[in-house]
Amino acid sequence: MNIAALWALITKDARLYFANRLFALVTVLGLVAYIAIYFLLPATVDETLRLGMVIPELPPALAEALTDDAVQIERFTDATALRAAVASGEVTVGIAFPADLFDQLRQGSRPTVELFLAPEVPPDFVSVYEAAARELSFNLVGQELPVVISEEILGPDMAGAQIAPRQRMLPLFAVLVLMVECLGLASLIAAEVEQGTIRALLVTPLSLRGLFVAKTLFGSLFAFVQAVLLLAVTGGLVREPLLNLTALFIGSVLMTGTAFLIASLGRDLMSVMGWGMLALLIMALPTFTVLLPGLAADWVQFIPTHYLVDTIYRSLNFGAGWSEVGGNLLPLTASALLFLALGMAILQRRFV
Amino acid sequence: MSEPAIVADSLTYRYGDLLAVDHISFTVERGEILGFLGPNGAGKSTTVKMLTGQLRPLSGRALLLGIDVSRHPKQVQARIGVCFEQPNLYEELSAADNLRLFARLFNVRDLDLTALLRRVGLDGRGNDLVSHYSKGMKQRLMIARALVNRPDILFLDEPTEGLDPTSAEAIRRVIREEQERGATIFLTTHDMYEADRLCHRVAFINSGRIVALDTPHNLKQQYGKRMVRAEVVGPDGSLLTREIILDQPETAAEMANLLQHEKVITLHSEEATLEDIFIQLTGRGLA
Repeated sequence: MNIAALWALITKDARLYFANRLFALVTVLGLVAYIAIYFLLPATVDETLRLGMVIPELPPALAEALTDDAVQIERFTDATALRAAVASGEVTVGIAFPADLFDQLRQGSRPTVELFLAPEVPPDFVSVYEAAARELSFNLVGQELPVVISEEILGPDMAGAQIAPRQRMLPLFAVLVLMVECLGLASLIAAEVEQGTIRALLVTPLSLRGLFVAKTLFGSLFAFVQAVLLLAVTGGLVREPLLNLTALFIGSVLMTGTAFLIASLGRDLMSVMGWGMLALLIMALPTFTVLLPGLAADWVQFIPTHYLVDTIYRSLNFGAGWSEVGGNLLPLTASALLFLALGMAILQRRFV
Repeated sequence: MSEPAIVADSLTYRYGDLLAVDHISFTVERGEILGFLGPNGAGKSTTVKMLTGQLRPLSGRALLLGIDVSRHPKQVQARIGVCFEQPNLYEELSAADNLRLFARLFNVRDLDLTALLRRVGLDGRGNDLVSHYSKGMKQRLMIARALVNRPDILFLDEPTEGLDPTSAEAIRRVIREEQERGATIFLTTHDMYEADRLCHRVAFINSGRIVALDTPHNLKQQYGKRMVRAEVVGPDGSLLTREIILDQPETAAEMANLLQHEKVITLHSEEATLEDIFIQLTGRGLA
């Protein structure tokens, strides 16, 4: 097919896309909003642990912790004051040893150590603070633990360099940008099928293959340019730019294939939106595992966008390069080609 | 003698269990206007889709300009123009943009947009969005789009359906001009009056089969009945209608009796319409 015809089809799709006010607004405002939200979110992480204590004397290890910015220790006179401080949010965790701790020990009774926890402390962390309270107890009474504890940090040591919320959200924004364009393209195609303009195009020298080439180029490039713009403005191209650009481009092709599938199912704008929302929810799931690491599950790897999200997230925040995450591009490419092929095969049946 | 523009050879198509087109065969000579008449569901559109390469026949073949449509659809489509029954224009684009797009697809570099729009009566409206067009204007734009590549064969599906007289006449004028230019016209229509006026030959299709194919004149001669229709004053003063079939042995006597014994108000000779002939042949109307 000739380049002039290809270009005419791409510019036609671009004009039709922006003739739809909904998608024109969502595209422009969405991009602006994602960038604005990114810069409004904190760039640093405040993970300071505020610990309140009622303790007869401070063990040397704890005294050392006082110099650590990550832990703020405040001593209280009694358990009542400590309880009130936890309830008011002044401290997050309170450990109160009885005032007569040593007397109780001398008498052979088991002293009770009270542990006060603020409501926002995750349940998983309760056992951690219990263990900390027990260790403090051992320190206080002078008994050494019968085992040697060796500390090993798994993965990059993020102490002092925690991942800011906005960095965690960047992959979500990238996926959202791609998905909006996916919905726009699906809507465009569904409208062309319903209005019969696709039939008019196909009764010309334009072949089916040429039509799909034009649609794929328009959809992929349009989505890719916006995603690149997002990352460029938010500094996401500073680290491993070629890797991230490649991942974004393949992700754009994946979304174009998804658009073909949605268009083959949708009969009008409403049904396209319905199917599109379902697809968006599924495709966005891997981004939530980045936002909330506790949500990570093995089945997320079956969602193609997992490989896009993982690549961007790890390259931007952990300095991962081609050797660490380059392998993600293979399943991502395979998924993109599969979605594209499947979408074309099903969609063309609606063209006659 | 040049080869026919269109050769349909035992074309067949089925939608599931429904046999939509049943082994139809016909030819259309170059420069001819063929009318394809039939009621809804007769197989007209399916036939057109097979001829224009939109559907692959179940059996049989179609040759357009000597080219097998099934084997080389794009070669054929480069030389035909198709005007669909339902408008399928890009409504969010202007008329000019619609035409330019299709010119690019046909690789037409010297499109005279102004002249083309003037031909179909849309001069000065090329920059208007198609969504602002009336039905008649959209239909005229569809015709213009079908003419972008100066086609050798023009397929027109109900081109004047539901149009005002001005728009319909404008389209008929364009059809005659194209025929004079040497194009072959394949016209599907319900409008027997239009077919009678425009077409060199008409084909009646019913339930997927061609039941008759000839010039309108020959069809009327073969199947029609000529008659005289008179309005006379009845005994109570009301107007009554009398019909006398011509070319019968008793015609002269009946005519004499009418003129002698009745008070004749109007007297007209009539011949059968194509719809009358269609009803006679198929038992159903064209609507």
